[in-house]
Amino acid sequence: MTALLACSGLTKRFGGLVALDGLDFAVAQGETIGLVGPNGSGKTTFFNVLTGLYSPTSGAASLDAVDIFGKSPQSIGRAGVARTFQRCRLMLDQTVFDNIALGVLRAKPLGLLSTLFRRGRLRADLDATIARAHQLACRFNPQLGAALFRPAGDLTMIDRRRVEICRALIANPRLLLLDEPSAGMTPDETRRLMDDLLAFREEAPHLAVVLVEHEMDVIRRVSDRCVVLNFGRKIFEGLFDAMIEDREVQTAYLGSGQ
Amino acid sequence: MRSTNLDAAIATGAPPQARSLPGTAAAILVPLAAFGALAGLLQVHEQWETGLLVLAFLAALVLLDRSRAGRSLAEACRTQSGIASTSAVLAALALLWTFREDHYSLLMVATVALYAVAGVGLNIQMAFGGIANFAAAAFFSIGAYTAAVLAGHTGLPHLLVLAAGGVVSALIGVVMLLPVLRTRGHYVALVTIAFGVLLRTLLEVNDTFGGPQGMKIPGFAPFGSDFGDVATIAGFDVSFYLPYALAAAALFALAFLAGRMLERSWVGIAMDAVRTDEIAASAFGLSPARWKATAFLTGNVLIGVAGALYGMMNGFVNPNGAGFGESLIMLSIIVLGGLGNFWGAIVAGAVIIILPEKLQSIQEYRLLIFAVVVIAILRFRPGGILPRPLRTLGRQQGGAS
Ligand SMILES: Nc1ncnc2c1ncn2[C@@H]1O[C@H](COP(=O)(O)OP(=O)(O)O)[C@@H](O)[C@H]1O
Ligand SMILES: [Mg+2]
Repeated sequence: MTALLACSGLTKRFGGLVALDGLDFAVAQGETIGLVGPNGSGKTTFFNVLTGLYSPTSGAASLDAVDIFGKSPQSIGRAGVARTFQRCRLMLDQTVFDNIALGVLRAKPLGLLSTLFRRGRLRADLDATIARAHQLACRFNPQLGAALFRPAGDLTMIDRRRVEICRALIANPRLLLLDEPSAGMTPDETRRLMDDLLAFREEAPHLAVVLVEHEMDVIRRVSDRCVVLNFGRKIFEGLFDAMIEDREVQTAYLGSGQ
Repeated sequence: MRSTNLDAAIATGAPPQARSLPGTAAAILVPLAAFGALAGLLQVHEQWETGLLVLAFLAALVLLDRSRAGRSLAEACRTQSGIASTSAVLAALALLWTFREDHYSLLMVATVALYAVAGVGLNIQMAFGGIANFAAAAFFSIGAYTAAVLAGHTGLPHLLVLAAGGVVSALIGVVMLLPVLRTRGHYVALVTIAFGVLLRTLLEVNDTFGGPQGMKIPGFAPFGSDFGDVATIAGFDVSFYLPYALAAAALFALAFLAGRMLERSWVGIAMDAVRTDEIAASAFGLSPARWKATAFLTGNVLIGVAGALYGMMNGFVNPNGAGFGESLIMLSIIVLGGLGNFWGAIVAGAVIIILPEKLQSIQEYRLLIFAVVVIAILRFRPGGILPRPLRTLGRQQGGAS
């Protein structure tokens, strides 16, 4: 199986701190990888480097043979990478639709003159995007679809996460990066969100997913393969059962008080 | 298939929209009442009358917010904004016609309208783009100085002179701002403050543009004849300020429509995204620097055009108008009116520009009363007199605005 995402020797330094240390990482089309590691081990940094928010120090990264190493967030997004954030990053004063639409904005005509003078095209485009956003939102929760024009700040935590995921999905990405989607949710909400994710997975079999998650039951349930980071280095890669048996993984977690 | 989804979206996603008869009546009456109050304010002479009007205004604001009837009135105006806007336009025209011979009132109304045009520009910069522009009056004056140079020394048609005021103001603004657009936080605000001070001082000490005396500006003559020479319209005696007030109102209508169209589009979402969260916006491919520059440039065009017409109406421009205090007044207007609400700039403009004039005879308490009114409003309505409404896009939105 050829890799969709291929990273080698990916390194990110913050001054003297090596947050990501020569990471080799590959994801195949349609694969779900559980990315685990104690707090501060570099998982979020990895996502930030991959999506172009941080510029990497050295290494290489490509998505389906397109070089994405050190590229701008715009071009990486265009190549097909979308993400959610560990701390929910929504426009709480704006509507659910506005938030989801952010995911496709870069593909829209954003010129001032076309906005002022081509209202017909804009209206048709808006209607089509509203329909698509509604369809996505309903797939996760019909009530969320009904709340498309409510402020995102009115939503529960789990619905906010769903909006973030819809925002990432609406552009039809090939690689989806989920950074602790269950943070701040109850075990029951986490289970429901993972149900949603698995159901969506069935419909989009080619989508590759990297999921950062602390809850081992969740990782066991949704991931095909696991990667463990510690101090920015990959200390394990393989199947879930092997991971929980692994000595180094156990000490990494115990050592950091997890 | 797609239209089924769309209908579902419209059926389920739309806010409740009661196009009831009482709702329509409310959407017609609220703007009428507002302009009626403005007419009252222009008319009053006695201090106690002014005081009564201010109290009534504050009471109306509290009722709109705190009583169920008030809230449904406000809601009706929001859901039927097309009807409310039409009613407002007609009420404004009626008001102008009523005061058609009154120089002073028309001058104040035209000033409020032109400050509101600048307010639309400032709103695009601050409420949408997230850039606090503390040099609005400086850019307003740049528009006026441009008019002084172009209308005074070239034969350029005056409509183009207005446009040039906007373009020059936008260009100078972007040159000033480009170096700091990538920085976050308050740097941009500091740079605008410094720019305003710099511009005013430069105009004062340098004689190219008339030094402290400033420059004369010819009257606005868009179709050949000077507005200043107009004495009758359709057989009625009118003040020469009437055509200016009408032009100012028309300019506000244009600025309002353009601003509204930008807000209710991908552009509006992009600006909101960049302002609220630069990191999320970047991750989805938006360039914060580009959008801040766009907001600033667009806003400055409106500020510059408004300044050009204001200069032509007054017949002169001098460096005083470019000062920091004037810029603060412009900012207060949009904050008091409600950040992101263009009508708010008219209402707050009336409070901030006309009210102090009406309190002339109690000189010593004038600013005190004025300050208390502003604080009282913001105390009860932190979002301003007319807070920005939620943007609901798509076909379920009835009127154009
Ligand atoms: N912008 C930054 N500047 C400096 N250090 C950072 C920055 N972002 C992350 N780090 C550091 O990099 C390390 C990895 O952090 P992070 O990727 O957030 O870990 P995780 O997501 O696995 O909990 C931590 O030591 C963190 O303090
Ligand atoms: Mg993290």
